[in-house]
Amino acid sequence: MAGVTPPLPSFVCERFMLKIEHLTKIYDNGVKALDDVSFEVPDGQFVAIIGLSGSGKSTLLRCINRLIEPTDGRILWNDIDITSANDEELRLIRRRIGMIFQQFNLVKRSKVITNVLAGRLGYTNQFMSFINHFSKEDYEDALAKLERVGIADKADNRADELSGGQQQRVGIARALMQDPELMLADEPVASLDPATSHSVMKYLELLNKEDGISILCSLHFLSLARTYSDRVIALKDGRIEFDGPAQDIDEVRFKEIYGEDAVRVEIE
Amino acid sequence: MWGSRSPETARRNLLIVIGIAIAIVIYSFGIDQTDIDLRETQDETRQTSVTRALRELLSPDIFDQDSESQFAAVSMQLRCEDDGAASEITAPSGSEPTVVVVTGCVSSGDVITVEGFNFRPNTPAVLRWIPPNGESRPLTPVGTTDIVFDVDSDGHFATQVTVPRIRGEDEAHQIQAEARWGVGLPFASDTTHLVIEKMIETVLTALMATTLAIPIAFAISFLAARNLMKQVSVPAGNVFVGVILLPVGWILGTMLYGAVGQFGVELGSGELFNGATAEAAAPAVLLLLASVAGGVKRRQNVAGTGISVRLRVFGLNVLMVAVGIFVFGVLGGLALTASEVLDSGFLATFGNALGTIGDIIELTIVGVGGLVGAVMLSSFSANLVQHTLKDLRGIESHVAGFVLGGVMGAVILGLVALFGTQGALLGLFAPVVTAILGAQAAAALYTYVFNVDKRAFNVTKTQATGRLIASIVGAVIMFVIAAEMLDLSRALVQGRLPAEDTFRFFGVAFPVRSFIGKAMLMGAILSGIMGALSGVHESIPVGMTIYNGSRTILNAMRSIEPLIMGIVFVIWVGVGPFAGVLALGLHSIAALGKLYSEQIENIDNGPLEAIQSTGATRLQTIIYGVVPQIIPPYIAFTLYRWDINVRMSTIIGFVGGGGIGFILQQQINLLQYRDAGVAMLAIAIVVSVLDYMSATIRERII
Ligand SMILES: Nc1ncnc2c1ncn2[C@@H]1O[C@H](COP(=O)(O)OP(=O)(O)O)[C@@H](O)[C@H]1O
Ligand SMILES: [Mg+2]
Repeated sequence: MAGVTPPLPSFVCERFMLKIEHLTKIYDNGVKALDDVSFEVPDGQFVAIIGLSGSGKSTLLRCINRLIEPTDGRILWNDIDITSANDEELRLIRRRIGMIFQQFNLVKRSKVITNVLAGRLGYTNQFMSFINHFSKEDYEDALAKLERVGIADKADNRADELSGGQQQRVGIARALMQDPELMLADEPVASLDPATSHSVMKYLELLNKEDGISILCSLHFLSLARTYSDRVIALKDGRIEFDGPAQDIDEVRFKEIYGEDAVRVEIE
Repeated sequence: MWGSRSPETARRNLLIVIGIAIAIVIYSFGIDQTDIDLRETQDETRQTSVTRALRELLSPDIFDQDSESQFAAVSMQLRCEDDGAASEITAPSGSEPTVVVVTGCVSSGDVITVEGFNFRPNTPAVLRWIPPNGESRPLTPVGTTDIVFDVDSDGHFATQVTVPRIRGEDEAHQIQAEARWGVGLPFASDTTHLVIEKMIETVLTALMATTLAIPIAFAISFLAARNLMKQVSVPAGNVFVGVILLPVGWILGTMLYGAVGQFGVELGSGELFNGATAEAAAPAVLLLLASVAGGVKRRQNVAGTGISVRLRVFGLNVLMVAVGIFVFGVLGGLALTASEVLDSGFLATFGNALGTIGDIIELTIVGVGGLVGAVMLSSFSANLVQHTLKDLRGIESHVAGFVLGGVMGAVILGLVALFGTQGALLGLFAPVVTAILGAQAAAALYTYVFNVDKRAFNVTKTQATGRLIASIVGAVIMFVIAAEMLDLSRALVQGRLPAEDTFRFFGVAFPVRSFIGKAMLMGAILSGIMGALSGVHESIPVGMTIYNGSRTILNAMRSIEPLIMGIVFVIWVGVGPFAGVLALGLHSIAALGKLYSEQIENIDNGPLEAIQSTGATRLQTIIYGVVPQIIPPYIAFTLYRWDINVRMSTIIGFVGGGGIGFILQQQINLLQYRDAGVAMLAIAIVVSVLDYMSATIRERII
């Protein structure tokens, strides 16, 4: 997955790595969190997903790697149907889809390096992981990934000794270990202060530009989406309210997405 | 007034009145049944005995001391001519201890005054009556209960005693006085030595029981954790195949892994070198190890979901597990060898321990192999057939469901019934499981007939009620049918095992007992119905089934007191600490299993989600996401459990479980309260010290 995409035949406009078709999710309590959501993500795009809290952003992202089972609809990824994959197939799909989380979701008591190596589990024999064994290449790779997000010196610290921004960078390094083609980020900066937020977003931008990893990132702030994304998808009550470049969101659209009382808050 | 009250207030008041009335009845009955009678505590003789017992308990026989004594005796005259002529007491002239009796001539029942001179001052002394045959009796001073009295500071005493009943009045009787005092430093008494020895046994019993329970409770805790099991749901076809292959895997596992493991044990224990196979074995093993190492290297890069890839991966896993079991067996064998070498002196204890570990491995390795084999084969085949089953559509899926479901039901009930042939009461399980299957089949039928939506939020209240009623009816009907077919009254009323006749179906004789055959038939029908209705694609919440099952077992086990388990184990393995270890161990498995699984339910699920999303398997998710989070609370709860086990092991001896309870009970039965006092003191000290220690450590960990 180097940055160069091969030239496409003229009859194909774009190659869609991810196609979401009529995705619907109804939780057991009857809440319809996603309602007939369809869109396509071409290779290498940075998509921001915005919307009020409760609008279905997390549900959408978790349906893509089936941390949540969709109720209806299909998700196609490089022409593989994720929704009908069995356990084993799902594992092989998941290991090429990285994910980072608002709460970082590191194992707090484990070392940073162990957390990063966990990203490699999909490629490791489970009997080897039983005795905590990773190959030497994996170790070197993990250190290289930590180097890349600028915290190689913290490799032997416990994860909970790190600051929030650092923890999120460990999360990114862990996802990178998967050698992902697609990165799902569920409000990755919502627990961070503005300055740290930008540094984390810059790393995501870097992955998108340098490694050509497609990114689906839910964000609270429109300003962040505007700065970093190629495209914004706005959800409202589980439906797509807007889909297009961030510049197209004017005052009227903004009020449609965030409600009449919403005031723009900028994050520098 | 009454009219102004709301009906709710009236109803509440009525409820309160009824409640009070019920409470009065219950408490009256309770006082009556428990024989509460305060007059009993006022009774004079009971008060004396309790005072004595308490006084002795509070004067524990901890120390002993070497002692020195002074003896002096006086001859008694029993046949007198000049009746009643009392002689005067005169202080003896010498400095030797001397006893003088005021009355020269006595007969049985007289109260006489005995005086002593020149004894060691301020020293406890006793008086004895020594008849001619030498069988001395202690004389209790008049007006006391204690036979010991004190010599005064001048070395003199004057004590009144009653002359005992005498035989042989013509011969010479004596009254002897002994004053005894300790010399040198006090040292621990024999009782103390015994108590310390037993206390060590007690603490070790608790330690062993806890240790035994840890790995088993650890394994069970994952199955009894709702948050882990909730997500586990598997397509019906996989479940059917997986369950069907469990017993097959068990048999293959005991054959392959059991043999490999035993081979390892033999190799390790050197038994093999007696035979000629030894030369051939070593290279074969090396080859095996090398090929596995090579395979593992390649396995890292194997990807894809094709059948051939899966088969190769499975083959490698089988080999790796075989090597694991082999190594385990060799370790066991080596432990046995070591125990033979270390058979003397200080190292003998280690040798003994190693020997026991080796024995355990030798005894369990076949079972472990079977278990591993069952799990591996069933999960692998379930995944493998998924490929074939996936393409089944429409009616095909339902036919396959009927066939596979039917076989699964037969296998399940066959196993349950086999279990039922072991004890009359166990036979009950077959109708119970049949009833559970009946309930589910009825619910499935209801869902199918009335076209109820599978998703919970779409089910109306009427439908839910209808389904519930259907499953209750199904359960009752199937229980009755099964009880009738399996001749349940034979087991319940007469306590007899099922008959051993052969199962016949349409005139064909099957090589199983009719009890098992009938159960299998019912299981096949019910499960076949469910399989036919569901097809092979419907997802089954296997996780929640396992969760409920293991929770039920844990709760049932926890409700049996260790003392009662102790009774059973004493019958099984005899009186001694081993029975205590087993009883406390079994109870600890249940208790720790529950505590552990609650800790798993309390963990942060975020990391699990993150690790799952990397494509990790369930096992890997547990190792990397769950285990690091539960280690600290597990240590804390294990310490807590050890603490409780020490407490319990102090009384497990009451039913023969060894340790301090065993001698405490003996001492109490023999009314040796001063000795019992030592045991009780030891218990109090050890329990509170351990309590304090484990609390301190726990505080630091959490
Ligand atoms: N596990 C769940 N069970 C039931 N309802 C849920 C669950 N998770 C989320 N929801 C509901 O689904 C809707 C969408 O939630 P979510 O996807 O978390 O939104 P967002 O991430 O945009 O805040 C909300 O109404 C929420 O209450
Ligand atoms: Mg969210």
